[in-house]
Amino acid sequence: MTLSTVANAVSVTRRRRTTRVVVVTGGLTSVVAVLFVVTMMVGSFRLSAGEVIGSLLGTIDDPSLDFVVLGLRLPTAATALTVGLALGVSGTIFQHLLRNPLASPDFVGISSGAGLAAVSGIVLLKVTGLAVAGFALGGATVAALLMYVLAWRDGVSGYRFILIGIGVAAFFDGLIGFVLSRAQLYEARQAMHWLTGSVGQASGTELRLLLGGLVVLLPLAVLLQRQLRLLELGDDTARSLGVSAELARAALLGTAVIILALAVAAAGPILFVALVAGPIANRLLGPATGSVLAAALVGAALLLTADLVAVHLLPTALPTGVVTGAVGAPYLLCLLATTNRQGTGG
Amino acid sequence: MRALRPFLAVAALSLGLIGCGGEQNTAAPEARPSSSAWSFTDGSGKAVTAEKTPTRIIAHAGEAAALMSFGIKPVGIYADESIKTDANLKDLDLTGIEILGQEWGKIDVEKAAALRPDLIVADWWPVEKAHSGFEEGVDEKSKKLADLAPVVGVTQGKSIEDLARGYEDLAESLGAKVDSPEISANKKRFEEAVARFKAAVAAKPELTALGVSPADDKVYVANPEFAPELLDFQRWGLKVINPAKPDPAFPYWETLSWENADRYQPDLILWDGRGYKPELNTEWGAKQPTWFKIKAAKAGAVAAWPAYWLHTFGHFATELDKVTEAINAADDSVGD
Amino acid sequence: MISTIPVRRAPALGVGLAVLLALLGAVAFLSVTQGARDIGLAEVLRALGGLGVNEEITGTVTLELRVPRTLLGILAGAALGAAGAILQGVTRNPLADAGIMGINAGAAVFVVFAITVLGIQGVGVYVWFAFAGAIIATLLVYTIASLGREGATPVKLALAGAAVTAGLTSVTTGVLMTNIDALNELRFWQVGALAGRYMPILTGVAPFLIAGLVVALGLGRALNGLALGEDVARGLGQRVGLTRTVAFGVVAVLAGAATAACGPIVFIGLVVPHLARALCGPDYRWTLPYSMLLAPIVLLLADVLGRIAGAPGELQVGVVLGVLGAPIFVLIVRYGRMSEV
Repeated sequence: MTLSTVANAVSVTRRRRTTRVVVVTGGLTSVVAVLFVVTMMVGSFRLSAGEVIGSLLGTIDDPSLDFVVLGLRLPTAATALTVGLALGVSGTIFQHLLRNPLASPDFVGISSGAGLAAVSGIVLLKVTGLAVAGFALGGATVAALLMYVLAWRDGVSGYRFILIGIGVAAFFDGLIGFVLSRAQLYEARQAMHWLTGSVGQASGTELRLLLGGLVVLLPLAVLLQRQLRLLELGDDTARSLGVSAELARAALLGTAVIILALAVAAAGPILFVALVAGPIANRLLGPATGSVLAAALVGAALLLTADLVAVHLLPTALPTGVVTGAVGAPYLLCLLATTNRQGTGG
Repeated sequence: MRALRPFLAVAALSLGLIGCGGEQNTAAPEARPSSSAWSFTDGSGKAVTAEKTPTRIIAHAGEAAALMSFGIKPVGIYADESIKTDANLKDLDLTGIEILGQEWGKIDVEKAAALRPDLIVADWWPVEKAHSGFEEGVDEKSKKLADLAPVVGVTQGKSIEDLARGYEDLAESLGAKVDSPEISANKKRFEEAVARFKAAVAAKPELTALGVSPADDKVYVANPEFAPELLDFQRWGLKVINPAKPDPAFPYWETLSWENADRYQPDLILWDGRGYKPELNTEWGAKQPTWFKIKAAKAGAVAAWPAYWLHTFGHFATELDKVTEAINAADDSVGD
Repeated sequence: MISTIPVRRAPALGVGLAVLLALLGAVAFLSVTQGARDIGLAEVLRALGGLGVNEEITGTVTLELRVPRTLLGILAGAALGAAGAILQGVTRNPLADAGIMGINAGAAVFVVFAITVLGIQGVGVYVWFAFAGAIIATLLVYTIASLGREGATPVKLALAGAAVTAGLTSVTTGVLMTNIDALNELRFWQVGALAGRYMPILTGVAPFLIAGLVVALGLGRALNGLALGEDVARGLGQRVGLTRTVAFGVVAVLAGAATAACGPIVFIGLVVPHLARALCGPDYRWTLPYSMLLAPIVLLLADVLGRIAGAPGELQVGVVLGVLGAPIFVLIVRYGRMSEV
């Protein structure tokens, strides 16, 4: 075998992989687009896809149709879409950065930290709009730092790190319960929003903030994808390939934390989407790819589906987080079972 | 717990936690004050106008009952509980009216939009600074009902008489005949009921009463200051006890631990009428060891208090007679 | 392993047990004297002595509100503490706890199902659902954690438990949200609260709890055997399979009944056995009774703390324990040498 045939083989593999990435990403985009439109077709009365798209694009001029599509259904659908994208991005960055398939922000206590800060700000300090997102960001940052300190000794791999995260999350959830009870916020709907998360309660401000954040940060995350993959190979490898490990890591972590905080401010701490989006995307793309964009799209598809189920398929409308929790847990158990059988856990 | 549900519904709204973000735009964009043919001053103080008299009305439960008593049939109704149990709606013929919600905070705005309403009628709550159905804590989507048409309502203020008269004015402005024999009969019945009430109170000048809503974990004592019907009772001479420390965040009530259930000792208990049944008194006596430490409860001096739902003279007359009857039967030496 | 730890002598341990008993008495007394109503010490004592009970509200509050609540706290606490100790022994796992392993969540989801869907009222009936739920959750978690060569390691067990808890809690929430009346009724129960649970609940679950505690006390020797490893235990003539079955059965009864009474309370069964071992060493014949006394002390203190911190209302004991217990859980995970226990 000559050198040129090896080079040829490599480039063929690479081309194949590129084709697969393009096909999968394209496929996911269409799935998300379809789900996005379907979400807006169902409700108290059914609309056709044409009507929804026409109203979205402004080609149909019908005020009552616009009211239903743009006024009522679009905000929820857009929240599900953007929160899903955000959770997918942030989850996959965390998982790759920490080299641990279980290390998604919802499982290491960062979502709960953001939720606790947001709900404290709302209940105790009566903040609104932008400040809620600021609080969520502060909470997410503090939680991330706390996890960093706690994981200092043993590193971030293995189950032990995740267990610490679950403990931290339980602590924050307890405090959320405390804050909610202080506020006499005993109306179940609002309490559930902050304990399990739902996409139907976001206000316009929070949605716009998240949308703005994604427009800036999603491309950034995609740009940083190469660094992420190199970091995963280890700091030394990354450095030898010309990546400033610390800088890249800080940039990635910052991006992930900000995106996550904006998502939590809009929808509360929704479980499992961030955990499963990355692994599913990887399975679709094949080994060792780790596309941020694909993970984001999987996140969006998952959350849009969960919202469809939660609001339209079940007899009573439920918070989205209830559905992701009930469906995500079996997935996590399967993941654990597989990891356990391979003996790579802890 | 049934007794607490409607209360919770009302309760949860109050928590003006996220400031006043829930304020509605009460004026429709097309409304031009100068050339308007119809106008009504809302409970919030704003004058709401329209170019022609609204005919397609969506109303909250009790408000709908008020309008229907003047012959105005809304196209849609949203209630805080099942229309089969709602005190205002349970005896009304609702055929042909779209039911848009039967749970607090949840209004099917999509169905509402299909009705193409030109007016939303809902009480104005001065403490929450919101109309019924638009308070803090409701579904974000429900609030969009206000985008369909202007919202007007009479204020849940100091008197049910004012409230009922306010809806009479509203009905009149909407073109209803408010002097039909049936309506006059109800008013006359109400005036007679008030007279009987006053006479009963005058016969027992020392009699005290207390608005109460017991729940599994707490006892809620009503603050008459924010309960128009209790203020009416006070105006007519009944000594309804004002609790000493109403909850700061939600001044409709003072919350008592069951350990302190005996704090106020009235001669007559006015039991939150939403979900009240006569046998409840015995049930609570068995369930909560301290319930019968309220001497009036032990003596069985309990009557339904039409809490926060009255909108018409007819309903008020009926309910008033029940309270009068309880006053006549009560012993003014039971409490302190 | 056991031989490296200094064996404390029985008399000293007996004294320790007596001290704990006295401490529990003191905490129980604190729980009876503290509450929303200001009742003087003299009046509490008078009521406890049976004087003026029928006439005065102080007597009613003391005897009919606070005493049953305290007794329930003692029994439920002892049950959760014993369940934790047994689980840690039988799985040889320092992270085992009925709450963490999803057993309480399993019991809870069955109770909620029984109340909302089947319309069952009365704790004496739905306690059986709690047992069933506890058993199913235990089997599920243990099976998943046992996969793989190294068997059910502490972290695997805890993680599987966390996953099951997350899923079951979502189901519980979902069932509750579809039924507003039930939601309000169960709102406090769900986070673990002692308030509003008085005589009927106490009499409903007490027989199960007491029976479970008695059997649990007899498990000490068997757990000691298991602690030496399965083979050694077998060599000592123990029937390992039988011990396991009985132990898990007792845990299901204890955790199920405690959950049926107070809602899913987490962390107490984790923290207390560690505390107990620090006091009395690793001998389960002592760890079990120590845990049974320490756990109600912690639970009642958390409850009293909730009454003070939550004033003028009350903070559910589950919330207090979540906030207090989670950091300890984190510390055990972070610093615990798990393979050595």
